[in-house]
Amino acid sequence: MSDCTSHTSEANASIGRMSRPEAFTQNIDVSTLVDSDGGLIDRSIYTETSIYAQEQRRIFARSWLFLAHTSQFKKPGDFFTTFMGEDPIIVTMDKTKTIRAYLNSCRHRGVRLCRADAGATKMFTCTYHGWSFDLAGALQSVPNEKAYPEDFDRKQWGLIEVPNVQSYKGLIFGNWDKDAQSLEENLGDMRYYMDAMLDRDPEGTEVMGGVMKWTLEGNWKLAAEQFATDWYHVNMSHASALMVLSPTGRGPKAEIAATPGRQFGSENGHGAGFPTHPKSRFDARPVHEYYDYEALRERLGDAAVEGPMTTGHATVFPNFSYLPVNGSIRVWHPKGPDKMEVWAWVLVDKSMPDEVKDAQRLYNLRTFGPSGIFEADDGENWSEIQAISHGFVTNNVPLNFQMGIGSERNDGTYPGQTSELYSDAAGRAFYRHWSKQMNTPAWHERTEQA
Amino acid sequence: MINPINIGSIDDIDEGEAKVIPSDETGTGEDIAVFHAEDGNFYALNDNCTHETASLADGWIEGTEVECPIHAAKFCLKKGTALCMPATQDARTHKVEVSGNDLLLYPNVPAEPVEA
Ligand code: FES
Ligand code: FES
Ligand SMILES: [Fe+2]
Repeated sequence: MSDCTSHTSEANASIGRMSRPEAFTQNIDVSTLVDSDGGLIDRSIYTETSIYAQEQRRIFARSWLFLAHTSQFKKPGDFFTTFMGEDPIIVTMDKTKTIRAYLNSCRHRGVRLCRADAGATKMFTCTYHGWSFDLAGALQSVPNEKAYPEDFDRKQWGLIEVPNVQSYKGLIFGNWDKDAQSLEENLGDMRYYMDAMLDRDPEGTEVMGGVMKWTLEGNWKLAAEQFATDWYHVNMSHASALMVLSPTGRGPKAEIAATPGRQFGSENGHGAGFPTHPKSRFDARPVHEYYDYEALRERLGDAAVEGPMTTGHATVFPNFSYLPVNGSIRVWHPKGPDKMEVWAWVLVDKSMPDEVKDAQRLYNLRTFGPSGIFEADDGENWSEIQAISHGFVTNNVPLNFQMGIGSERNDGTYPGQTSELYSDAAGRAFYRHWSKQMNTPAWHERTEQA
Repeated sequence: MINPINIGSIDDIDEGEAKVIPSDETGTGEDIAVFHAEDGNFYALNDNCTHETASLADGWIEGTEVECPIHAAKFCLKKGTALCMPATQDARTHKVEVSGNDLLLYPNVPAEPVEA
């Protein structure tokens, strides 16, 4: 498919080459911590170090994780550095123009190999002793190589490659599991909801400028879950921002504040919510005027234009989220149980004239940039949850995810299982999948299991 | 008298780029890199970095210097001088001449000393 490119390589035998004591990887059965049918979540899943470590093994080491946008790579040697869970990653375009991803750690003594956020290079050379790796990850140069034993084989000391890299309409994802279900299959019905953002322009999308990065106190799941399932907070948390943006200054009309809508939750943990209202569209005026909504309706259907293309929100499990209305695409990087780093890009349609792109960029900054009038409301709530959650009694009191229990159904219009806009259905789906993954051995454990 | 080899048109190498003449053509037993420096002139050095193994033609040309793509040693394109660590040995220069549109390389004939 032209929409999707992929690159697969063998899993590197050096991962787990030395055997480790079992005590390092003792797994916790999380089934009693998540009651996804009854809508209860134990707060320990946001605070326990052992659960956080297990997430690194059984969520981040085996899920499709967003790496970068294809427009960040134009020539061989263009690179971008990021993380998959806590693992540092170099994403680069090799000489054949294939996007490859490597662990950003020197094979010699483990220094972070590339320290730049992004750039162009011919080789990745370590600053410590000078081992040097080419764009295909091969170890090309070892100073004083003659002093190594005769059986030292540079081929065995190339970069650890992410074995599975696939992209969907410009979004590049990586997976450490080379046998993982393909990205497209994994996204499943979620593609319909993503397409409402990615397919508005037949030419596709691109990202503008650099990546905005900021740190928040708060477990990564608080943000991922909210973008999957939480329209509920909008009128309360964002009251002042909604007032500022409304023509009267007193807030949106009742019919918009109480808008109907749908919320999609997938068995793979993805979620998306959106008003179904032709006018619930908090977009920048130049962007609004740029779009030919009649043409979009013809190409993508009325349901997409009046649904997921409005002021929606979404999460691709586990930690990639986006907002179609302002082109914010972001990753919630876990940085310990209590901290996350938000990395946010501005996504625009390729065909937009420069002034429309710029209007979208400014609107994005104003609303959902690091000091955006909406963004600050959300970060504040997540941090307030986390800041108190280590109290013993606090930690023992479960959280409520019961809105809309039993409302999930196929409504005949929107693909997959959907619920009402005001619902926790996608949150329950997110945690159902999270707990299933947490209780299922991953690829790196299979030999132990066999 | 050593005969030069015609290595093609001056338009083949953009400013800031380089081209490798393989050892079987140079006759010196070594690959030679011909650089189009940012002063507009052409210079030639042995392609292999004097530090370890790397093609200087793959390096970064800045002004009339080339930076090795591997460990960032720099060499003067005019005189071959190793300008910084980790290289400690100068690179060998070869004379290049422009004749009309053609580039002529004199393998093993040192570049003429240039005034600084
Ligand atoms: S740690 Fe990278 S070369 Fe030694
Ligand atoms: S190989 Fe050129 S500086 Fe090391
Ligand atoms: Fe919000």
